[in-house]
Formats: sequence, structure tokens, C-alpha cells
Amino acid sequence: MAVRRSGGGTDNDMKKRVFLLTAFFVFSFFSFSTALAQVQVRMRVIQASNVGQNIDPSLKDVHKELGSLFSFTSYRLLREETLSLSPNQPVTITAHPGRFMEVNLVGLQRDAAKLRIRVIREGKDILDTQVRLSPGRTVLIGGPRHGEGVVIYALSARF
Amino acid sequence: MKNSCSSVSTLLEKYFDQEVTDEERFLVGAHLQDCPVCRDALKSMEELRTLMSAPVEEAVQKEDFPWVWQKIEREIRLQKKRTWWQSLRSWLDVTPLFNRKVWIPAVATVVVLLFISTEIILKKTPSYPDGSVVEYVESQSHNVMVYQLEEPKVTVIWLFEGPEEERTTT
Repeated sequence: MAVRRSGGGTDNDMKKRVFLLTAFFVFSFFSFSTALAQVQVRMRVIQASNVGQNIDPSLKDVHKELGSLFSFTSYRLLREETLSLSPNQPVTITAHPGRFMEVNLVGLQRDAAKLRIRVIREGKDILDTQVRLSPGRTVLIGGPRHGEGVVIYALSARF
Repeated sequence: MKNSCSSVSTLLEKYFDQEVTDEERFLVGAHLQDCPVCRDALKSMEELRTLMSAPVEEAVQKEDFPWVWQKIEREIRLQKKRTWWQSLRSWLDVTPLFNRKVWIPAVATVVVLLFISTEIILKKTPSYPDGSVVEYVESQSHNVMVYQLEEPKVTVIWLFEGPEEERTTT
């Protein structure tokens, strides 16, 4: 009696494997690429004023810098957020009542992320700037009034 | 054409097992009509088959196949079960792919995607030689000051906003 191997099932199995492995590699690559292109930006909204002498404990790491730059006596953390920025996908956040801040990753260099930052009030840009944020550097955007003090946005990047 | 016994004898076993082609069957059949020696040889084969098949059939009838199958099942169960890692490795074994051409389009697809995606997603421009952090700053309604320190690494963008502007927003 002759014995013949039927290749139909094996071929189907092989095609299935090839398809699944290809899909897996493509998915992994895109996930990896997107993760590489992502930048984590830590944004802190700080209220600085001369009312009292309270330093928010969560601002201890930047208190020295703030103290050397400004003459305010009180710093209070209003909000803290970590933004995951992907290229050309702007993130809008309510910085404080009546104002929005839009942060957009417009470029990625070897050692810096290029961010376009817009502060918007009543639909109009009151500030439009583009900065290169490298690890270890803090960009402080301050000035807008808030209560009896001003608001300072502290941005730092991690990637 | 007259066939000799020696040439037919090589086909005789195949003829007996019904494995010959139509042409061979015709040749052997024609030869057997004229050759008593080969007819005897064929008859011997039939007798031998009968001789062998009878005890085998008798043994098969006596054999307890469910019991045999139980033994096989027990042996299968006793075989060492493969770990998940061995199963995964076996499934991910792509070496059979190298014997086929199915991997070519798959690899080509991945390479093209890598090429396109790397250009688009991972395009990183070289760093600027100067140390400026602020590339531009604009405000049509306010005065802005930029102040940059290298130690500590801090850049300040200060927006001079009057108290009357604050009142409009609150």
C-alpha cells in the first residue's frame, strides 16, 4: 500500500504562522517606534505669591531654582501632570481657569524635544513660543495672574 | 513479441500484487497463457498468500483490539508532557519556512515598513550648535521676557500681564 503525505494541512498551518509572525513583528515595530518617538513632559502649575511663606513640599526639588529666580515668598502646586507627547499631536490642558495651554511635539532631536507651546485665553494666543527641551532642563513660563499672585508653568522632559 | 521468463518474472510479483501498468498486465497475461512455468510460479504465490493469510486472520480475530488501544493510550499518557516553553519554541520554529518561499513576501513587507516608518517616525534632526532653548516667542498683546540660566539649567519665559487683563478672565 502506498503512503502519501497530504500537504494541505501543513501549508495552511505554515501560512497561518507566517501571517501571525508578520503581524506580530509589524505590530511590535510600530509600538516600539511610537514609544521611541514619545516624549514624557512633566508639567507643574505653580501659584507664586507674596502672601505668606508657604512652600509646597512637592516643590522642594525646584524651590531653590524658583527662589534664585523670583522674589516670591509662597509657592503652591496647583496641578501636576505628565503629558505623553507624540509628534504633531497637540495636547490641550486647562492650565488654570480661563486659560488653556497647548503643547505640541514638533520635533525630536538627539538630545532635545522641540515643543511648541501656546497659552490661549478666550480663543486668542497670548503666548506662542517654541522651545527645545532637553533632559535636565526646566522651562518656566510665568506671568499670568492668578488670585493674589501669578502662575508659573514648569515644564521638564523625559525621553 | 515473445517475452522471456526472465523478463516476465521481474514483473510477476507486481502482477500478483496488482501493481503493474495496463501495458505490463497485457504482456504478463499474454506470457502466462503460453508459459506453464510462470503460471506455476504465480500459483505458488497465491498458495503462499493463502497459507500466510489464514493464520493472520485467525490471530486478528482472536486479538483484543480495545485492550491494545488501551495500552497505546496509556503509553501516550506516560509520555512526558511538553512544557509551554517547548510548545512555544516548537510553534515559533521558523526553520521550515526557509525551505519555502512563503517568507519572502513577509520579509519584504517588514523591510518596506521598516524603511518607510524609520524615515517618518524616527527622523531626528541634528542638534543645534548654539545653546539657545527658546527658538521663538511671540505675544501680540503682552510684553515677554526670556531669561536663560545654565546652572541650574532653567529657562524663564515671563509674560507681563496687567491686573486689568486678569479681571476679564475671572
